[in-house]
Amino acid sequence: MTRIALKVNGQAVERDVAPRRNLVDFLRDELNLTGTNVGCEHGVCGACTLEIDGAPARSCIAFAVACDGASVRTIEGFDDDPVMIELRAAFNAEHALQCGYCTPGMLVTARDIVTRLPDADEARIREELSGNLCRCTGYVGIVRAIVSVMAARKSSGGGR
Amino acid sequence: MTAPVEAGAKGVGASLPRKEDDRLMRGRGDYVANRRVVGLQEVAFVRSPMAHARVLAVRKPEGAEQQVFVLADLEGVKPIVAVCGLPGFRVSELQVLAGDIVRYVGEPIAMCVAATRAEAEDLAELVEVDLEPLPVVADMLAALTPDSPKVHAHWERNAFLESMVDDDLSAVKRDAAIVVRRTVRTARQCMAPIEGRAVVAEYDRRLDQLVVHSATQMPHINRTGIAECLGIDQASVRVVAPDVGGGFGYKGILLAEEICLGWYARRTGRPVRWLEDRYEHLSGNANCREHHYDITGYADASGRLLGIDCEAVVDAGAYSLYPFSACLESAQVSSILPGPYVMDRYRCHTYAAATNKPPILPYRGVARTGVCFAMELVLDAIAREAGREPWEVRMANVVPSDAMPYTNITNKYFDSGDYPECLRRTVAALDVPAWRARQKRGEPDGRRVGIGLAIFCEQAAHGTSVYHGWGIPMVPGHEQCFARLSPDGALELRIGAHSHGQGMETTLAQVANEVLGIDPARVRLIHGDTALTPYSTGTWGSRSMVMSGGAVAAACTVIAERVKAIAAHLLEAAPADLELADGDVRVSGTDHSMTLQEVAHAWYRQPQRMPPDIDPSGLETTAGYKAVRDTGTFSYACHACAVAVDTELGTVEILDYVIVEDGGTLVNPMIVDGQVYGGLAQGIGSALFEEMPFNADAQPLASTLADYMLPGATEMPTVRMEHMTIPSPITRFGQKGIGEGGAVAPPAAIANAVNDALHDLGVEITECPITPRRLLAALAEAKAGR
Repeated sequence: MTRIALKVNGQAVERDVAPRRNLVDFLRDELNLTGTNVGCEHGVCGACTLEIDGAPARSCIAFAVACDGASVRTIEGFDDDPVMIELRAAFNAEHALQCGYCTPGMLVTARDIVTRLPDADEARIREELSGNLCRCTGYVGIVRAIVSVMAARKSSGGGR
Repeated sequence: MTAPVEAGAKGVGASLPRKEDDRLMRGRGDYVANRRVVGLQEVAFVRSPMAHARVLAVRKPEGAEQQVFVLADLEGVKPIVAVCGLPGFRVSELQVLAGDIVRYVGEPIAMCVAATRAEAEDLAELVEVDLEPLPVVADMLAALTPDSPKVHAHWERNAFLESMVDDDLSAVKRDAAIVVRRTVRTARQCMAPIEGRAVVAEYDRRLDQLVVHSATQMPHINRTGIAECLGIDQASVRVVAPDVGGGFGYKGILLAEEICLGWYARRTGRPVRWLEDRYEHLSGNANCREHHYDITGYADASGRLLGIDCEAVVDAGAYSLYPFSACLESAQVSSILPGPYVMDRYRCHTYAAATNKPPILPYRGVARTGVCFAMELVLDAIAREAGREPWEVRMANVVPSDAMPYTNITNKYFDSGDYPECLRRTVAALDVPAWRARQKRGEPDGRRVGIGLAIFCEQAAHGTSVYHGWGIPMVPGHEQCFARLSPDGALELRIGAHSHGQGMETTLAQVANEVLGIDPARVRLIHGDTALTPYSTGTWGSRSMVMSGGAVAAACTVIAERVKAIAAHLLEAAPADLELADGDVRVSGTDHSMTLQEVAHAWYRQPQRMPPDIDPSGLETTAGYKAVRDTGTFSYACHACAVAVDTELGTVEILDYVIVEDGGTLVNPMIVDGQVYGGLAQGIGSALFEEMPFNADAQPLASTLADYMLPGATEMPTVRMEHMTIPSPITRFGQKGIGEGGAVAPPAAIANAVNDALHDLGVEITECPITPRRLLAALAEAKAGR
């Protein structure tokens, strides 16, 4: 067991973890943060995407011990985030989710695209989404939702 | 494009945003893996690393005898048997943990239980299994040859079922000016929902009840199956399917794992869970879509179809699974191969071949994707022989507009539709002349452009009369809904089907709005729990909007009558003069009204106000539904696309994609579009990317998502979709099942476009997925042959 101290959704957490424990299992099983879903456990599907130190990361291939000192933000930590509020409204309006299993990871990636690449065109958005698989929607609503949030932010001058 | 709906409308026809989205977007989805249970232990299975072997010994690690379980430990547990009633069906038994023989890679051999999944996997690694290899049956065509080794030693032939639709083709053989014969093959696939299978089993001592949380599409069927295999009363089993992360057919099955965990929870009283990981999914559950066709089309010189002769083989894998059995897919092939076409003669011989591969499950579209691929390649080949545009040849062969309703050559009853119009609109939307002109000009980058189309019909929501003929363990009858207007005027609906992406929490609330005038925000759908809902065969076969939608309407109609009876008394009006709208009961043509809430309040809390002759059954009821005919609705669609093929790299880019679809009355057009888009992405996967190859030892060769390619956002083209909305005459609102169609046509439409692009190079692709390797091989072969 290794003692780690990190921030999760703004709160300080200190725990002993086994070196082989991956971050998503640690969050789900020990901190009861079950919003992050596990899809492939080898870093391809993107369902488990969350933020580590402000950047999207795969929590299924990140070890908890490697996150000592880091700041982790899961989907639960975005409840009141202004960009995420816009994205949730757009995902709902554009029917960007069906079963919802890829959605938390998809939203974390979408928020990263919106904030990091405010001028991205549709092709670039699709490329940026290539690390998040969705088996239900064919990505149509997801892309439309991201495009609509970017357009709305541009016209309101917000988020820049 | 859909018919305009009144602004603010919330009933049938409104693109109402989904009620279920909010919790899913906030990470509050209630998937099986999210279930917290004190003392929960985890399971890892030891699975067969060989496709066919005799199990000589399974040795448990010393000291772990109480944590590792083999078949002999599972006293009283019966094997999974799914018999099909069609004559000649050969019966298989799947032991929930391996008996003497294992028959596919991934078959469970032992169950290991530990405090964490990691420790359970550690334990699994310590279990020693002695296997004696047996000859492997890896290929379905070889499986059917007389000298093939046998998957089940006592069988005469490696076939679960051989079936024949026979006909005399001598006249069409004599008269046909055009004869095209093709060998067509589709690859074995994984359905790959992003959430894998998941089971949590607990024992409720108070009720003496096994409670199984399972990611299933059909909780009631699982409950029946679990009880039968464990040899206990069905009252002793409760199955809960909470939020489920995608089904597509993969979760329409009774699992050996459910039986094993259920047995353990009952025996020890301790809760236990198993979560399928992606490796288990890919290496042990590539279980769909593998078809082979030797198909001949006979036509006159103009391309009019005279007859089809086909020998079709479906690779059904090693066992027949519950409830759909190993025969469903092959039996469907012979009955639906003619598709939307009129022909004089039809003969089809099909086999459900047994191999040492994972047992077959019906994937979205079931046999339709394969038969559409085979038929539409043949239609294009006929068009080339006739020297006509492929769409013209189809126009000459589809069921004519004025023939509806139409009974086709395999006795399928097409309830409604206009296939020629669907073709016309598709061709217009794609703009065929513009693409032909561009083809002539050539591409500046040297790629070759082609266009292709495919038209099909999708029998959906088919019921008793279809399924009893197949005689599988599950035959759907009437569908029920329980409805209750609660004292505060809200509506509770309970159905036995399950929503796992289809949006039924929204669409069924729209149905309630249509009948009762209640705001969908005040409707709550309860589903996915056998203790709380009416029995149902569940969600499969694009049936829920027709069947559960019909049942909800039936229950709401009963509630509406009872509401009117109470309101009539309170408003001193005749029930016939009352109408329900916007949450109110109104006396027609007056401003005299009361709210649903006031009616409910009066019934529950002021019974002294009721008339003496009031119906004592109250504001709750269970009502059932069956369509006017249960032979199914026939939705249909035409897909057309333009592709650019790079003959150096073997890649295919989709430049344009058009879908014209008739789903009848669309309860929620936005959700229908979503179903079609999602199906299309899966169909594009089948067409271009997804394949689980097996080697000669039937070892699966793609064990990660880097090897098994699922379409991502960059692989999806921009799609243009149009809806024809010809109501079905046999369903409650005219709706037709449409959940699967998107996945049916893409391989055919895309292959036809590729063949159109490469025709003058002498290339004709008849196998999917059309991977770069396959395409380059075809190009090289054509070059060598010239």
